[in-house]
Amino acid sequence: MAVTDLPRPPNATLPRVARVLSQGARTGATLGLPLISFAFVLGLWSLVGLSGVVKEAIFPAPWSVWSATVEMWRNGTLQTDLAKSLGRAAVGFGIGATLGVMMGLLTGRVAVVRTLLNPFLNLLRPIPAIALVPVAIVWFGIGEGSKYFVVSYTVFLTVWFNTHHGMQYVPETYLRAARTLGASKLREFATVVLPAAAPHIFAGIRLGVALAFLSLVAAELSGASSGIGFRLQEARQYVRTDRMFSLLIILGILGALADLVVHWIGKKLVHWEQG
Amino acid sequence: MMTDTTQSRGRVEIDDVVIRFKGKQGTVTALERTSHVLEPGTFTSLIGPSGCGKSTLMNAIAGFVTPAEGALRLDGKPITGPSPEVGVIFQQYALFPWFTALNNVRFGLKQFGLSKREEIDRARAALDEVGLAAHADKYPQQLSGGMKQRVAIARTFAVEPKVLLMDEPFGALDAQTRLVMHDLLLGIWRKHKATVLFVTHDVDEALLLSDHVQVMSQAPGRLIRHYHLTQERPRALSRSGNELLEIRDEILGLLHPKTMLADTL
Repeated sequence: MAVTDLPRPPNATLPRVARVLSQGARTGATLGLPLISFAFVLGLWSLVGLSGVVKEAIFPAPWSVWSATVEMWRNGTLQTDLAKSLGRAAVGFGIGATLGVMMGLLTGRVAVVRTLLNPFLNLLRPIPAIALVPVAIVWFGIGEGSKYFVVSYTVFLTVWFNTHHGMQYVPETYLRAARTLGASKLREFATVVLPAAAPHIFAGIRLGVALAFLSLVAAELSGASSGIGFRLQEARQYVRTDRMFSLLIILGILGALADLVVHWIGKKLVHWEQG
Repeated sequence: MMTDTTQSRGRVEIDDVVIRFKGKQGTVTALERTSHVLEPGTFTSLIGPSGCGKSTLMNAIAGFVTPAEGALRLDGKPITGPSPEVGVIFQQYALFPWFTALNNVRFGLKQFGLSKREEIDRARAALDEVGLAAHADKYPQQLSGGMKQRVAIARTFAVEPKVLLMDEPFGALDAQTRLVMHDLLLGIWRKHKATVLFVTHDVDEALLLSDHVQVMSQAPGRLIRHYHLTQERPRALSRSGNELLEIRDEILGLLHPKTMLADTL
Protein backbone atom coordinates (compact mmCIF):
# COMPACT_ATOMS: atom_id res chain seq x y z
CA MET A 1 0.00 0.00 0.00
CA ALA A 2 1.23 3.47 -0.83
CA VAL A 3 1.50 4.82 2.66
CA THR A 4 3.21 7.99 1.56
CA ASP A 5 0.32 8.92 -0.75
CA LEU A 6 -2.06 9.42 2.15
CA PRO A 7 -2.47 13.00 3.29
CA ARG A 8 -1.35 13.16 6.86
CA PRO A 9 -1.45 16.04 9.32
CA PRO A 10 2.04 17.06 10.39
CA ASN A 11 2.57 15.81 13.91
CA ALA A 12 6.22 16.52 14.55
CA THR A 13 5.60 16.64 18.28
CA LEU A 14 5.12 12.87 18.40
CA PRO A 15 8.25 10.80 18.84
CA ARG A 16 9.31 9.00 15.70
CA VAL A 17 8.43 5.48 16.93
CA ALA A 18 4.93 6.54 17.93
CA ARG A 19 4.48 8.13 14.52
CA VAL A 20 5.59 4.96 12.77
CA LEU A 21 3.26 2.90 14.93
CA SER A 22 0.24 5.10 14.33
CA GLN A 23 0.90 5.18 10.59
CA GLY A 24 1.09 1.42 10.57
CA ALA A 25 -2.17 1.13 12.48
CA ARG A 26 -3.82 3.47 10.03
CA THR A 27 -2.81 1.50 6.97
CA GLY A 28 -3.84 -1.79 8.57
CA ALA A 29 -1.89 -5.01 8.28
CA THR A 30 1.18 -3.79 6.45
CA LEU A 31 4.02 -6.24 6.25
CA GLY A 32 6.52 -3.95 7.96
CA LEU A 33 5.02 -3.83 11.42
CA PRO A 34 4.96 -7.57 12.19
CA LEU A 35 8.57 -7.72 10.97
CA ILE A 36 9.56 -5.10 13.54
CA SER A 37 7.95 -7.21 16.24
CA PHE A 38 9.69 -10.41 15.07
CA ALA A 39 13.05 -8.65 14.85
CA PHE A 40 12.58 -7.29 18.36
CA VAL A 41 11.80 -10.70 19.88
CA LEU A 42 14.60 -12.37 17.90
CA GLY A 43 17.01 -9.70 19.18
CA LEU A 44 16.00 -10.31 22.80
CA TRP A 45 16.25 -14.05 22.31
CA SER A 46 19.77 -13.70 20.83
CA LEU A 47 20.85 -11.58 23.77
CA VAL A 48 19.65 -14.26 26.19
CA GLY A 49 21.57 -16.84 24.15
CA LEU A 50 24.75 -14.76 24.06
CA SER A 51 24.62 -13.95 27.77
CA GLY A 52 24.80 -17.65 28.65
CA VAL A 53 22.47 -17.17 31.64
CA VAL A 54 20.26 -20.11 30.64
CA LYS A 55 21.60 -23.52 29.65
CA GLU A 56 21.42 -24.33 25.93
CA ALA A 57 19.68 -27.64 26.68
CA ILE A 58 16.87 -25.78 28.45
CA PHE A 59 16.51 -22.71 26.28
CA PRO A 60 18.43 -22.97 23.00
CA ALA A 61 19.69 -19.89 21.15
CA PRO A 62 18.23 -18.91 17.76
CA TRP A 63 21.23 -20.23 15.81
CA SER A 64 20.95 -23.64 17.51
CA VAL A 65 17.29 -23.80 16.55
CA TRP A 66 18.20 -22.86 13.00
CA SER A 67 20.80 -25.61 12.69
CA ALA A 68 18.35 -28.13 14.17
CA THR A 69 15.89 -27.09 11.46
CA VAL A 70 18.52 -27.54 8.74
CA GLU A 71 19.43 -30.92 10.22
CA MET A 72 15.82 -32.14 10.15
CA TRP A 73 15.45 -30.87 6.62
CA ARG A 74 18.67 -32.59 5.43
CA ASN A 75 17.67 -35.97 6.83
CA GLY A 76 14.20 -35.59 5.33
CA THR A 77 12.10 -36.01 8.47
CA LEU A 78 10.86 -32.42 8.37
CA GLN A 79 9.36 -32.77 4.89
CA THR A 80 7.74 -36.11 5.73
CA ASP A 81 6.35 -34.84 9.03
CA LEU A 82 5.00 -31.66 7.44
CA ALA A 83 3.33 -33.61 4.64
CA LYS A 84 1.79 -36.04 7.11
CA SER A 85 0.54 -33.36 9.50
CA LEU A 86 -0.79 -31.03 6.82
CA GLY A 87 -2.53 -33.92 5.12
CA ARG A 88 -4.21 -34.94 8.36
CA ALA A 89 -5.20 -31.38 9.18
CA ALA A 90 -6.61 -30.86 5.69
CA VAL A 91 -8.63 -34.09 5.65
CA GLY A 92 -9.92 -33.59 9.17
CA PHE A 93 -10.74 -29.98 8.52
CA GLY A 94 -12.48 -30.81 5.25
CA ILE A 95 -14.71 -33.42 6.85
CA GLY A 96 -15.42 -31.36 9.97
CA ALA A 97 -16.13 -28.09 8.19
CA THR A 98 -18.41 -29.70 5.59
CA LEU A 99 -20.44 -31.54 8.21
CA GLY A 100 -20.42 -28.47 10.48
CA VAL A 101 -21.86 -26.18 7.82
CA MET A 102 -24.46 -28.75 6.85
CA MET A 103 -25.51 -29.37 10.44
CA GLY A 104 -25.59 -25.63 11.16
CA LEU A 105 -27.89 -25.03 8.20
CA LEU A 106 -30.14 -27.83 9.45
CA THR A 107 -30.32 -26.75 13.09
CA GLY A 108 -30.66 -23.14 11.99
CA ARG A 109 -33.63 -23.80 9.75
CA VAL A 110 -35.39 -26.98 10.89
CA ALA A 111 -37.03 -26.73 14.29
CA VAL A 112 -37.22 -30.50 14.83
CA VAL A 113 -33.50 -30.99 14.26
CA ARG A 114 -32.77 -28.01 16.48
CA THR A 115 -34.86 -29.38 19.34
CA LEU A 116 -33.36 -32.85 19.02
CA LEU A 117 -29.69 -31.94 18.69
CA ASN A 118 -28.83 -28.43 19.93
CA PRO A 119 -28.75 -29.12 23.68
CA PHE A 120 -26.63 -32.23 23.05
CA LEU A 121 -24.19 -30.47 20.71
CA ASN A 122 -23.82 -27.61 23.17
CA LEU A 123 -22.93 -30.13 25.85
CA LEU A 124 -20.16 -31.53 23.64
CA ARG A 125 -18.57 -28.15 22.93
CA PRO A 126 -16.70 -27.68 26.23
CA ILE A 127 -14.97 -31.09 25.98
CA PRO A 128 -11.34 -30.37 24.98
CA ALA A 129 -9.98 -32.14 21.92
CA ILE A 130 -7.12 -33.71 23.85
CA ALA A 131 -9.60 -35.55 26.10
CA LEU A 132 -10.93 -37.32 23.02
CA VAL A 133 -7.61 -38.79 21.98
CA PRO A 134 -7.82 -41.95 24.18
CA VAL A 135 -11.31 -42.69 22.87
CA ALA A 136 -10.20 -42.04 19.29
CA ILE A 137 -7.30 -44.45 19.69
CA VAL A 138 -9.58 -47.19 21.04
CA TRP A 139 -12.02 -46.65 18.18
CA PHE A 140 -9.65 -46.04 15.27
CA GLY A 141 -6.22 -47.24 16.38
CA ILE A 142 -3.04 -45.19 16.19
CA GLY A 143 -3.24 -44.81 12.38
CA GLU A 144 -4.71 -41.97 10.38
CA GLY A 145 -8.29 -42.68 11.43
CA SER A 146 -7.91 -41.42 14.99
CA LYS A 147 -6.24 -38.17 13.78
CA TYR A 148 -8.97 -37.51 11.24
CA PHE A 149 -11.56 -38.18 13.89
CA VAL A 150 -10.14 -35.82 16.53
CA VAL A 151 -9.55 -32.99 14.05
CA SER A 152 -12.86 -33.27 12.22
CA TYR A 153 -14.80 -33.57 15.45
CA THR A 154 -13.24 -30.39 16.86
CA VAL A 155 -13.67 -28.45 13.62
CA PHE A 156 -17.21 -29.72 13.23
CA LEU A 157 -18.41 -28.34 16.58
CA THR A 158 -16.97 -24.86 16.04
CA VAL A 159 -18.18 -24.56 12.46
CA TRP A 160 -21.60 -25.91 13.41
CA PHE A 161 -21.94 -23.42 16.29
CA ASN A 162 -21.06 -20.38 14.19
CA THR A 163 -23.15 -21.47 11.23
CA HIS A 164 -26.13 -22.11 13.48
CA HIS A 165 -25.86 -18.66 15.03
CA GLY A 166 -25.35 -17.02 11.67
CA MET A 167 -28.65 -18.54 10.59
CA GLN A 168 -30.38 -17.03 13.62
CA TYR A 169 -29.20 -13.51 12.75
CA VAL A 170 -30.62 -13.33 9.23
CA PRO A 171 -32.44 -9.97 9.35
CA GLU A 172 -36.21 -10.32 9.25
CA THR A 173 -36.56 -7.56 6.63
CA TYR A 174 -34.47 -9.57 4.15
CA LEU A 175 -36.86 -12.50 4.52
CA ARG A 176 -39.89 -10.25 4.25
CA ALA A 177 -38.50 -8.54 1.16
CA ALA A 178 -37.73 -11.92 -0.42
CA ARG A 179 -41.26 -13.17 0.22
CA THR A 180 -42.98 -10.10 -1.19
CA LEU A 181 -40.76 -10.46 -4.25
CA GLY A 182 -42.18 -13.91 -4.91
CA ALA A 183 -39.12 -15.98 -3.95
CA SER A 184 -39.63 -19.71 -3.52
CA LYS A 185 -38.41 -21.30 -0.28
CA LEU A 186 -35.43 -22.77 -2.09
CA ARG A 187 -34.41 -19.49 -3.71
CA GLU A 188 -34.92 -17.63 -0.45
CA PHE A 189 -32.57 -20.11 1.20
CA ALA A 190 -29.90 -20.10 -1.48
CA THR A 191 -29.81 -16.41 -2.34
CA VAL A 192 -30.94 -14.69 0.87
CA VAL A 193 -30.44 -16.86 3.96
CA LEU A 194 -27.07 -18.31 2.93
CA PRO A 195 -25.40 -15.03 1.95
CA ALA A 196 -26.84 -13.30 5.01
CA ALA A 197 -25.32 -16.00 7.23
CA ALA A 198 -22.07 -16.23 5.24
CA PRO A 199 -20.03 -13.82 7.39
CA HIS A 200 -20.77 -15.93 10.47
CA ILE A 201 -20.08 -19.16 8.63
CA PHE A 202 -16.70 -17.82 7.55
CA ALA A 203 -15.88 -16.70 11.08
CA GLY A 204 -16.55 -20.28 12.15
CA ILE A 205 -14.40 -21.70 9.36
CA ARG A 206 -11.54 -19.41 10.35
CA LEU A 207 -11.77 -20.60 13.95
CA GLY A 208 -11.99 -24.14 12.62
CA VAL A 209 -8.65 -23.79 10.83
CA ALA A 210 -6.95 -22.70 14.05
CA LEU A 211 -8.57 -25.54 15.98
CA ALA A 212 -7.57 -28.06 13.30
CA PHE A 213 -3.91 -27.39 14.11
CA LEU A 214 -4.50 -27.45 17.85
CA SER A 215 -6.36 -30.73 17.86
CA LEU A 216 -4.04 -32.32 15.31
CA VAL A 217 -0.99 -31.79 17.48
CA ALA A 218 -2.93 -33.04 20.49
CA ALA A 219 -3.74 -36.22 18.57
CA GLU A 220 -0.17 -36.67 17.32
CA LEU A 221 1.43 -36.19 20.72
CA SER A 222 0.14 -39.53 21.91
CA GLY A 223 -0.20 -42.51 19.67
CA ALA A 224 1.41 -41.51 16.40
CA SER A 225 4.52 -42.54 14.49
CA SER A 226 4.89 -39.51 12.26
CA GLY A 227 3.90 -35.85 12.06
CA ILE A 228 4.95 -32.66 13.82
CA GLY A 229 3.32 -33.69 17.10
CA PHE A 230 5.08 -37.06 17.06
CA ARG A 231 8.42 -35.39 16.31
CA LEU A 232 7.91 -33.05 19.27
CA GLN A 233 7.30 -36.01 21.53
CA GLU A 234 10.38 -37.77 20.14
CA ALA A 235 12.50 -34.66 20.71
CA ARG A 236 11.45 -34.69 24.34
CA GLN A 237 12.81 -38.21 24.79
CA TYR A 238 16.23 -37.08 23.49
CA VAL A 239 15.99 -33.70 25.27
CA ARG A 240 16.40 -31.93 21.93
CA THR A 241 14.92 -28.56 22.88
CA ASP A 242 16.45 -27.04 19.74
CA ARG A 243 14.28 -29.36 17.63
CA MET A 244 11.24 -28.64 19.79
CA PHE A 245 11.65 -24.92 19.31
CA SER A 246 12.07 -25.39 15.60
CA LEU A 247 8.90 -27.47 15.36
CA LEU A 248 6.92 -25.03 17.50
CA ILE A 249 7.95 -22.09 15.34
CA ILE A 250 7.04 -24.02 12.20
CA LEU A 251 3.63 -24.79 13.70
CA GLY A 252 3.12 -21.10 14.46
CA ILE A 253 4.08 -20.03 10.95
CA LEU A 254 1.88 -22.67 9.33
CA GLY A 255 -1.10 -21.71 11.46
CA ALA A 256 -0.67 -18.03 10.73
CA LEU A 257 -0.32 -18.66 6.98
CA ALA A 258 -3.41 -20.87 6.94
CA ASP A 259 -5.34 -18.18 8.79
CA LEU A 260 -4.21 -15.53 6.30
CA VAL A 261 -5.32 -17.65 3.36
CA VAL A 262 -8.74 -18.40 4.88
CA HIS A 263 -9.21 -14.76 5.83
CA TRP A 264 -8.33 -13.66 2.31
CA ILE A 265 -10.72 -16.16 0.71
CA GLY A 266 -13.46 -15.10 3.12
CA LYS A 267 -12.94 -11.44 2.23
CA LYS A 268 -13.26 -12.25 -1.47
CA LEU A 269 -16.39 -14.35 -1.02
CA VAL A 270 -18.14 -12.11 1.52
CA HIS A 271 -17.02 -8.94 -0.24
CA TRP A 272 -20.07 -6.89 0.79
CA GLU A 273 -19.16 -6.99 4.49
CA GLN A 274 -16.27 -4.56 4.04
CA GLY A 275 -16.78 -0.82 3.88
CA MET B 1 -62.37 -19.54 -12.61
CA MET B 2 -63.89 -16.32 -13.86
CA THR B 3 -62.22 -13.16 -12.73
CA ASP B 4 -64.14 -9.93 -12.62
CA THR B 5 -61.79 -7.51 -14.37
CA THR B 6 -63.17 -4.51 -12.54
CA GLN B 7 -62.16 -6.18 -9.29
CA SER B 8 -58.66 -7.39 -10.10
CA ARG B 9 -56.79 -4.14 -9.85
CA GLY B 10 -55.76 -3.96 -6.25
CA ARG B 11 -58.82 -3.36 -4.09
CA VAL B 12 -57.88 -3.83 -0.47
CA GLU B 13 -60.64 -4.55 2.04
CA ILE B 14 -59.91 -4.15 5.72
CA ASP B 15 -62.91 -5.81 7.30
CA ASP B 16 -63.39 -5.51 11.09
CA VAL B 17 -59.70 -6.17 11.64
CA VAL B 18 -58.27 -6.29 15.16
CA ILE B 19 -54.55 -6.96 15.73
CA ARG B 20 -53.13 -8.07 19.06
CA PHE B 21 -49.64 -8.98 20.17
CA LYS B 22 -48.63 -11.21 23.05
CA GLY B 23 -46.16 -9.28 25.16
CA LYS B 24 -44.53 -9.82 28.53
CA GLN B 25 -47.37 -8.00 30.26
CA GLY B 26 -50.04 -10.03 28.50
CA THR B 27 -51.86 -9.30 25.29
CA VAL B 28 -51.61 -5.81 23.82
CA THR B 29 -54.03 -4.46 21.26
CA ALA B 30 -52.00 -2.85 18.47
CA LEU B 31 -54.93 -2.02 16.23
CA GLU B 32 -58.52 -1.49 17.36
CA ARG B 33 -61.40 -2.76 15.25
CA THR B 34 -60.87 -1.14 11.85
CA SER B 35 -62.79 -1.29 8.61
CA HIS B 36 -61.73 0.48 5.48
CA VAL B 37 -61.41 -0.01 1.73
CA LEU B 38 -58.49 1.10 -0.42
CA GLU B 39 -59.94 1.64 -3.87
CA PRO B 40 -57.92 0.45 -6.88
CA GLY B 41 -55.26 2.87 -8.02
CA THR B 42 -55.67 5.32 -5.16
CA PHE B 43 -52.88 6.79 -3.08
CA THR B 44 -53.64 6.74 0.65
CA SER B 45 -51.42 8.06 3.40
CA LEU B 46 -51.66 6.70 6.90
CA ILE B 47 -50.48 9.16 9.48
CA GLY B 48 -50.39 8.97 13.24
CA PRO B 49 -48.24 9.32 16.33
CA SER B 50 -45.39 6.84 16.66
CA GLY B 51 -46.40 3.48 18.05
CA CYS B 52 -50.04 3.97 17.04
CA GLY B 53 -50.16 0.81 14.94
CA LYS B 54 -49.89 2.24 11.46
CA SER B 55 -46.99 -0.04 10.60
CA THR B 56 -48.89 -2.91 12.17
CA LEU B 57 -51.82 -2.38 9.83
CA MET B 58 -49.42 -2.19 6.91
CA ASN B 59 -47.67 -5.38 7.99
CA ALA B 60 -51.03 -7.12 8.15
CA ILE B 61 -51.88 -6.11 4.58
CA ALA B 62 -48.42 -7.29 3.53
CA GLY B 63 -49.21 -10.67 5.09
CA PHE B 64 -46.42 -10.47 7.69
CA VAL B 65 -48.88 -10.28 10.61
CA THR B 66 -52.12 -12.21 11.03
CA PRO B 67 -55.08 -10.29 12.48
CA ALA B 68 -56.65 -11.63 15.67
CA GLU B 69 -60.10 -10.87 14.32
CA GLY B 70 -61.64 -9.80 11.04
CA ALA B 71 -60.39 -10.32 7.51
CA LEU B 72 -58.14 -8.70 4.96
CA ARG B 73 -58.90 -9.22 1.30
CA LEU B 74 -57.20 -8.29 -1.93
CA ASP B 75 -59.65 -8.22 -4.82
CA GLY B 76 -61.98 -10.45 -2.85
CA LYS B 77 -59.35 -13.08 -1.97
CA PRO B 78 -58.22 -13.38 1.66
CA ILE B 79 -54.64 -12.28 2.34
CA THR B 80 -52.93 -15.29 3.93
CA GLY B 81 -49.25 -14.33 3.67
CA PRO B 82 -46.73 -12.30 1.71
CA SER B 83 -47.22 -12.38 -2.05
CA PRO B 84 -45.75 -10.57 -5.06
CA GLU B 85 -49.18 -8.98 -5.63
CA VAL B 86 -48.48 -6.79 -2.60
CA GLY B 87 -45.16 -4.99 -2.90
CA VAL B 88 -43.46 -3.47 0.11
CA ILE B 89 -40.93 -0.63 0.33
CA PHE B 90 -39.14 -0.67 3.67
CA GLN B 91 -37.70 2.32 5.48
CA GLN B 92 -34.30 0.63 5.69
CA TYR B 93 -34.44 -0.27 1.97
CA ALA B 94 -33.93 -4.03 2.57
CA LEU B 95 -31.70 -4.30 -0.47
CA PHE B 96 -29.54 -7.42 -0.53
CA PRO B 97 -25.96 -6.20 -0.05
CA TRP B 98 -24.53 -9.24 -1.84
CA PHE B 99 -26.29 -8.32 -5.08
CA THR B 100 -25.63 -5.39 -7.39
CA ALA B 101 -28.46 -2.93 -8.01
CA LEU B 102 -29.29 -4.81 -11.20
CA ASN B 103 -29.34 -8.20 -9.50
CA ASN B 104 -31.48 -6.85 -6.69
CA VAL B 105 -34.08 -5.95 -9.31
CA ARG B 106 -33.61 -9.30 -11.08
CA PHE B 107 -34.31 -11.09 -7.80
CA GLY B 108 -38.00 -10.20 -8.03
CA LEU B 109 -38.18 -11.04 -11.73
CA LYS B 110 -36.95 -14.63 -11.27
CA GLN B 111 -40.47 -15.84 -10.47
CA PHE B 112 -41.62 -15.11 -14.03
CA GLY B 113 -39.19 -17.59 -15.60
CA LEU B 114 -38.03 -15.14 -18.27
CA SER B 115 -35.03 -15.73 -20.47
CA LYS B 116 -31.85 -14.28 -19.01
CA ARG B 117 -31.75 -11.63 -21.74
CA GLU B 118 -35.33 -10.56 -21.08
CA GLU B 119 -34.83 -10.57 -17.32
CA ILE B 120 -31.79 -8.28 -17.59
CA ASP B 121 -33.56 -5.99 -20.05
CA ARG B 122 -36.55 -5.60 -17.75
CA ALA B 123 -34.35 -4.99 -14.73
CA ARG B 124 -32.39 -2.36 -16.65
CA ALA B 125 -35.60 -0.70 -17.78
CA ALA B 126 -36.80 -0.56 -14.17
CA LEU B 127 -33.54 1.03 -13.04
CA ASP B 128 -33.73 3.45 -15.95
CA GLU B 129 -37.18 4.47 -14.76
CA VAL B 130 -35.74 5.60 -11.42
CA GLY B 131 -32.76 7.25 -13.11
CA LEU B 132 -30.18 4.71 -12.00
CA ALA B 133 -29.29 3.01 -15.28
CA ALA B 134 -25.69 4.20 -14.88
CA HIS B 135 -25.39 2.59 -11.44
CA ALA B 136 -26.74 -0.86 -12.31
CA ASP B 137 -23.54 -2.68 -11.44
CA LYS B 138 -22.92 -0.98 -8.12
CA TYR B 139 -23.52 -2.66 -4.80
CA PRO B 140 -26.00 -1.07 -2.35
CA GLN B 141 -23.23 0.01 0.01
CA GLN B 142 -21.76 2.09 -2.81
CA LEU B 143 -25.02 4.04 -3.19
CA SER B 144 -26.46 6.94 -1.19
CA GLY B 145 -29.65 6.55 0.86
CA GLY B 146 -31.78 8.12 -1.84
CA MET B 147 -30.25 5.93 -4.51
CA LYS B 148 -30.79 2.82 -2.41
CA GLN B 149 -34.47 3.66 -2.03
CA ARG B 150 -34.69 4.19 -5.80
CA VAL B 151 -33.31 0.70 -6.36
CA ALA B 152 -35.87 -0.63 -3.88
CA ILE B 153 -38.66 1.19 -5.75
CA ALA B 154 -37.41 -0.18 -9.08
CA ARG B 155 -37.17 -3.68 -7.61
CA THR B 156 -40.74 -3.55 -6.31
CA PHE B 157 -42.39 -1.93 -9.34
CA ALA B 158 -40.60 -4.30 -11.73
CA VAL B 159 -42.73 -7.11 -10.30
CA GLU B 160 -45.89 -5.08 -11.13
CA PRO B 161 -47.63 -5.47 -7.76
CA LYS B 162 -51.31 -4.51 -7.54
CA VAL B 163 -50.76 -2.94 -4.15
CA LEU B 164 -47.72 -1.04 -2.93
CA LEU B 165 -47.13 -0.59 0.77
CA MET B 166 -44.54 1.94 1.85
CA ASP B 167 -43.43 2.15 5.47
CA GLU B 168 -41.94 5.60 6.04
CA PRO B 169 -39.87 5.06 2.91
CA PHE B 170 -38.25 8.48 2.89
CA GLY B 171 -37.91 8.86 6.66
CA ALA B 172 -34.15 8.42 6.59
CA LEU B 173 -33.53 10.87 3.73
CA ASP B 174 -32.71 14.58 3.86
CA ALA B 175 -35.37 17.14 2.92
CA GLN B 176 -33.99 17.86 -0.55
CA THR B 177 -33.73 14.20 -1.52
CA ARG B 178 -37.25 13.64 -0.20
CA LEU B 179 -38.73 16.19 -2.60
CA VAL B 180 -36.98 14.52 -5.52
CA MET B 181 -38.23 11.13 -4.35
CA HIS B 182 -41.82 12.45 -4.13
CA ASP B 183 -41.75 13.47 -7.80
CA LEU B 184 -40.19 10.20 -8.77
CA LEU B 185 -42.72 8.15 -6.82
CA LEU B 186 -45.74 10.04 -8.20
CA GLY B 187 -44.41 9.65 -11.74
CA ILE B 188 -43.94 5.90 -11.43
CA TRP B 189 -47.22 5.44 -9.57
CA ARG B 190 -49.13 7.22 -12.31
CA LYS B 191 -47.59 4.91 -14.86
CA HIS B 192 -48.09 1.63 -13.00
CA LYS B 193 -51.43 2.50 -11.32
CA ALA B 194 -50.89 0.43 -8.20
CA THR B 195 -52.96 1.01 -5.07
CA VAL B 196 -50.60 2.75 -2.66
CA LEU B 197 -50.70 2.77 1.12
CA PHE B 198 -48.06 5.15 2.39
CA VAL B 199 -47.21 5.18 6.10
CA THR B 200 -45.61 8.39 7.30
CA HIS B 201 -45.35 10.66 10.31
CA ASP B 202 -44.74 13.70 8.11
CA VAL B 203 -48.00 15.64 7.57
CA ASP B 204 -46.64 17.67 4.66
CA GLU B 205 -45.51 14.57 2.84
CA ALA B 206 -48.99 13.04 3.22
CA LEU B 207 -50.67 16.21 1.91
CA LEU B 208 -48.37 16.55 -1.08
CA LEU B 209 -48.72 12.98 -2.28
CA SER B 210 -52.10 11.51 -1.41
CA ASP B 211 -55.65 11.19 -2.68
CA HIS B 212 -56.68 10.17 0.81
CA VAL B 213 -55.19 10.90 4.19
CA GLN B 214 -56.18 8.69 7.10
CA VAL B 215 -55.27 9.93 10.55
CA MET B 216 -54.79 7.40 13.32
CA SER B 217 -55.20 7.89 17.05
CA GLN B 218 -52.69 7.20 19.80
CA ALA B 219 -52.17 3.51 20.60
CA PRO B 220 -54.17 1.35 20.44
CA GLY B 221 -54.65 2.76 16.96
CA ARG B 222 -57.82 3.33 15.04
CA LEU B 223 -58.70 5.55 12.09
CA ILE B 224 -60.08 8.82 13.47
CA ARG B 225 -60.23 11.22 10.53
CA HIS B 226 -60.30 10.96 6.75
CA TYR B 227 -59.49 13.66 4.21
CA HIS B 228 -60.09 13.33 0.49
CA LEU B 229 -57.68 15.54 -1.42
CA THR B 230 -58.47 16.49 -4.99
CA GLN B 231 -55.87 19.18 -5.58
CA GLU B 232 -53.91 19.02 -8.80
CA ARG B 233 -50.42 17.48 -8.59
CA PRO B 234 -47.63 18.42 -8.31
CA ARG B 235 -48.70 20.16 -5.17
CA ALA B 236 -46.93 22.64 -2.96
CA LEU B 237 -48.28 23.85 0.34
CA SER B 238 -47.48 27.42 -0.74
CA ARG B 239 -49.56 27.39 -3.91
CA SER B 240 -52.17 24.65 -3.65
CA GLY B 241 -54.67 26.85 -1.87
CA ASN B 242 -55.57 27.50 1.73
CA GLU B 243 -57.48 24.27 2.05
CA LEU B 244 -54.32 22.17 2.37
CA LEU B 245 -52.96 24.52 5.02
CA GLU B 246 -56.19 24.28 6.99
CA ILE B 247 -56.15 20.49 6.78
CA ARG B 248 -52.53 20.57 7.85
CA ASP B 249 -53.43 22.55 10.99
CA GLU B 250 -56.26 20.17 11.78
CA ILE B 251 -54.08 17.09 11.43
CA LEU B 252 -51.33 18.61 13.55
CA GLY B 253 -53.98 19.35 16.15
CA LEU B 254 -55.14 15.75 16.06
CA LEU B 255 -51.61 14.40 16.33
CA HIS B 256 -50.54 16.72 19.15
CA PRO B 257 -53.74 17.51 21.03
CA LYS B 258 -51.91 18.94 24.02
CA THR B 259 -49.72 21.52 22.30
CA MET B 260 -51.08 24.97 21.56
CA LEU B 261 -50.87 25.25 17.82
CA ALA B 262 -51.10 29.03 17.94
CA ASP B 263 -47.71 29.03 19.61
CA THR B 264 -45.98 26.70 17.23
CA LEU B 265 -47.27 28.17 13.96
